[in-house]
Amino acid sequence: MGQTLLDALNVRLVGSGKKFLVLAHGFGTDQSAWQRILPYFLPNYKVILYDLVCAGSVNPDYFDFRRYTSLDAYVDDLLRILDALGVDRCAYVGHSVSAMIGILASIRRPRFFSKLILIGASPRFLNDPDYHGGFEQAEIEKVFSAMEANYEAWVSGFAPLAVGGDVPAAVREFSRTLFNMRPDITLFVSRTVFNSDLRGVLGLVRVPCCIIQTAKDVSVPASVATYLESHLGGRNTVEMLNIEGHLPHLSAPALLAQVLLRALSR
Amino acid sequence: MAGTSFATTINDLPDVILSTIISTISAVRSRNAAALVCWKWLLLERSTRTSLTLRGNARDLLMIPSCFRSVTHLDLSLLSPWGHPLLSSSSFAAAADPFLVAHRLHQVFPAVTSLTIYARGPSTLQLLALHWPQLKQVKLVRWHQRPQLPSGSDFTPLFDNCQGLNSLDLSSFYCWTEDICPALESYPVISAKLTHLNLLNPSFSEGFKAHELGDITRACPNLKEFLVACMFDPRYIGFVGDETLLSIVTNCPKLCVLHLADTAALVSARSNTNGEGFSPEDARITIATLIEVFTGLPLLEELVLDLFFNVRESGPALEVLNSKCSKLSSLKLGHFHGICMPVESKLDGIALCQGLLSLSIRDVADLTDFGLIAMGRGCSRLTKFEIQGCNKITVKGLRTLASLLHRTLVDVKIAFCKNLGATSSLKALEPIQQRIQQLHIDCVWDSEEQFKNLDGGEYNFDIYKLDDGCGPSKPANFTNFDGDGTDYDGSYPKKKKCKVSYDLNFSDIHVNGNGNGYANGSELYGKTWDRLRYLSLWIPVGELLTPLAAAGLEDCPYLEEIWIKVEGDCRHLSELSEHDFGLSSLVLYPSLSKMHLDCGDTIGYALTAPSGQMDLSLWERFYLIGIGDLSLTELDYWPPQDRDVNQRSLSLAAAGLLQECLMLRKLFIHGTAYEHFMMFLPRIPHLRDVQLREDYYPAPENDSTEMRAESCIRFEAALNRRIFD
Repeated sequence: MGQTLLDALNVRLVGSGKKFLVLAHGFGTDQSAWQRILPYFLPNYKVILYDLVCAGSVNPDYFDFRRYTSLDAYVDDLLRILDALGVDRCAYVGHSVSAMIGILASIRRPRFFSKLILIGASPRFLNDPDYHGGFEQAEIEKVFSAMEANYEAWVSGFAPLAVGGDVPAAVREFSRTLFNMRPDITLFVSRTVFNSDLRGVLGLVRVPCCIIQTAKDVSVPASVATYLESHLGGRNTVEMLNIEGHLPHLSAPALLAQVLLRALSR
Repeated sequence: MAGTSFATTINDLPDVILSTIISTISAVRSRNAAALVCWKWLLLERSTRTSLTLRGNARDLLMIPSCFRSVTHLDLSLLSPWGHPLLSSSSFAAAADPFLVAHRLHQVFPAVTSLTIYARGPSTLQLLALHWPQLKQVKLVRWHQRPQLPSGSDFTPLFDNCQGLNSLDLSSFYCWTEDICPALESYPVISAKLTHLNLLNPSFSEGFKAHELGDITRACPNLKEFLVACMFDPRYIGFVGDETLLSIVTNCPKLCVLHLADTAALVSARSNTNGEGFSPEDARITIATLIEVFTGLPLLEELVLDLFFNVRESGPALEVLNSKCSKLSSLKLGHFHGICMPVESKLDGIALCQGLLSLSIRDVADLTDFGLIAMGRGCSRLTKFEIQGCNKITVKGLRTLASLLHRTLVDVKIAFCKNLGATSSLKALEPIQQRIQQLHIDCVWDSEEQFKNLDGGEYNFDIYKLDDGCGPSKPANFTNFDGDGTDYDGSYPKKKKCKVSYDLNFSDIHVNGNGNGYANGSELYGKTWDRLRYLSLWIPVGELLTPLAAAGLEDCPYLEEIWIKVEGDCRHLSELSEHDFGLSSLVLYPSLSKMHLDCGDTIGYALTAPSGQMDLSLWERFYLIGIGDLSLTELDYWPPQDRDVNQRSLSLAAAGLLQECLMLRKLFIHGTAYEHFMMFLPRIPHLRDVQLREDYYPAPENDSTEMRAESCIRFEAALNRRIFD
């Protein structure tokens, strides 16, 4: 079973260091998003890369709609991969949804992770009266109707034509990556993500966390980074990157790599 | 009579004759059809097939049928997954012992002498060269990074085993220039036998230097065909100049094809000219050297000197070309100035090269309409003419050239000439509208006013007026014009009306009452391009395709194949005024079945567009929308690229739009695509050949969105599982 999972999720182990490092990508991309960051870590770490089950590079037949109803199933996958590889302790870098997966994984296995580095993380996207997650219900509705239109088209054999650029600017940065998967998987996964609320469990995290935030990430306002810092249970730091966008590992890999190297050494 | 028929059919011919007939068929589909007639035809077809391109998964190589024993040319470069390391023990297909596979290939194709193969590393050739020592022609393909190995290792297995090698094509093989000379020098027996060497590879960042060219030509004195990307830039150490050219000629006097291109010219179509049309530096090549070169190569048939740096006042050298290289039929020159500067009506320079059948000129700063006309008069046998980057020529000059060459010219390319946008180019080609078979124009839409100005006035120069003082006034190719009317079959629409104010020559004919008369540029003529089969367009990013018909290409009843290249940086455009590029406007061409849509040089952001900017998925939708309206059977598509991450990947909208091409049989995507999106494609009912070909440098390594081997297998299995009725 372990071997099938390693193949199914395109797990790769590269690098010549002693310590393990997991690089986990977010929605709409796959492990190749790390390709320009990877060289910085190969000499000093054994780097584990894998694709999320919903990634466009994974056989869509593996996406079990009954199983992946919440982030817990993704956490299962991550831990099973690490067990199959014989890892007992590692550092973890997660982007976007994978940051949240990392948080949940570290709650389940408190002594497993030496450090969590969270890029573009958000425990909840929807705004509340006293919480600024970054998205209003109406904006999220627009994203869903675009996805539903795509789903209808795809199911009927037509071209799904809504793309990330069609939704309102406020949600565009985040959702453009969501449109990079098969329309039914996109719709399903987005519902999972926008419905999840991890604020309640943040306190259970004991692992030291480094929260990396870009100066202008429309999907994750700066207030979320501060919220995470104050609510995650361990020793936390926030690193602000002076760049725009939700995908710093794609838009500014050299800068991000330096920050990661520093954060991992502490 | 009905009932029993004693009619003789082709099947009654003796087998020997039937076999000869079948062996002349080159079209693959026709051959496949012939093979279905009956057992005898199947055997004859199989035994006469000499050229085969294998498509299919490398994993299944042991299952190759053994009926194609006569194959002499074998192409293994397109096996799936594209670009994977064949016969290497580390490849995923190592399910089968590589030795066994190589042995089987040899068993099944014992007569192979010409091989095209994707050689990711030397191990691929190691086993194959051992089994096919009789190889004579080899083309190596590699778009992936060169592996870290000692220089020249890629060629060792080949040179060790194939002593009869005479042709080596590395034009699609990424390696370093330093790999080649040492390899050739270490195998003097093979180098001495080489007659064809193609080193015209755009991935060489600098091209071969002077000493390298010297070494190569010294090692291969029997070269007949030599194509190479060189460094002509005089600011670089080791640039190619006079001495190098002379040494090439001294070392290889048997050359009949010589193709020297500056690497910069290979990589981009645009040039680095200043306002006057000259490049900032001059090439260090003198006229005297050129004359010596031409003198030293009497067997020359094809010559290309595609430079990025000026060669000034080159007319006198070209005049010598005609007398010294009497076999020369094809010439291409880039940045040669002064090639044709006629004084009054005396022909000079390149216009004296009467034997030319194909002429291509690029970035000639001082070429004017008079030069064009002289070329039309002098190079009177031209069938192919290409002109690029010449900003002083106008529609008048080009149209006169077309008139002068109306009997022979069938293939024309007009690119990046300031005064020749789409409408003007088409107007200029009206004299050969019924003849021309292949055409390239830029989709630069002339403004309305510019068009109107041209409309009322004269389009041509009066040839007779230009001819004063030059003996017999009509150039030879005009005298028998009436007689040539019979060259055309009677099916051309007979347009009788014309305006007398236009070109005197042609109105003359009509006045003579020759009903088969050749049409002139009258508006009333109608714009039917009767023989146009192939159209190539260049269009800047963001422009629409829809004005094409109105520009003059309304009626192309036999247009089968179209190549559209979109180029530019879409990061500079923050929004689209229209949502539809206009592909569906091509429905106008009823025979259109093949398309190449090349957005590969369109640069943008895949996922990291800053706020306010559009990402490539929007652009792909813009370009592809409506493609399902055309009845394309073959499509090659290059997705736009995000240079920052070296990604050329299909987006969701693109996959959905491609899947709407319900008549498609073949689809090749020159980029990467997620398995999720590839799985849209099996919905196309008759789709039978699909491949992702990352044939650009550098091809992404395996840790990317490139279809992983397993994804490829699953996709191909899904494609093959469908049942065709």
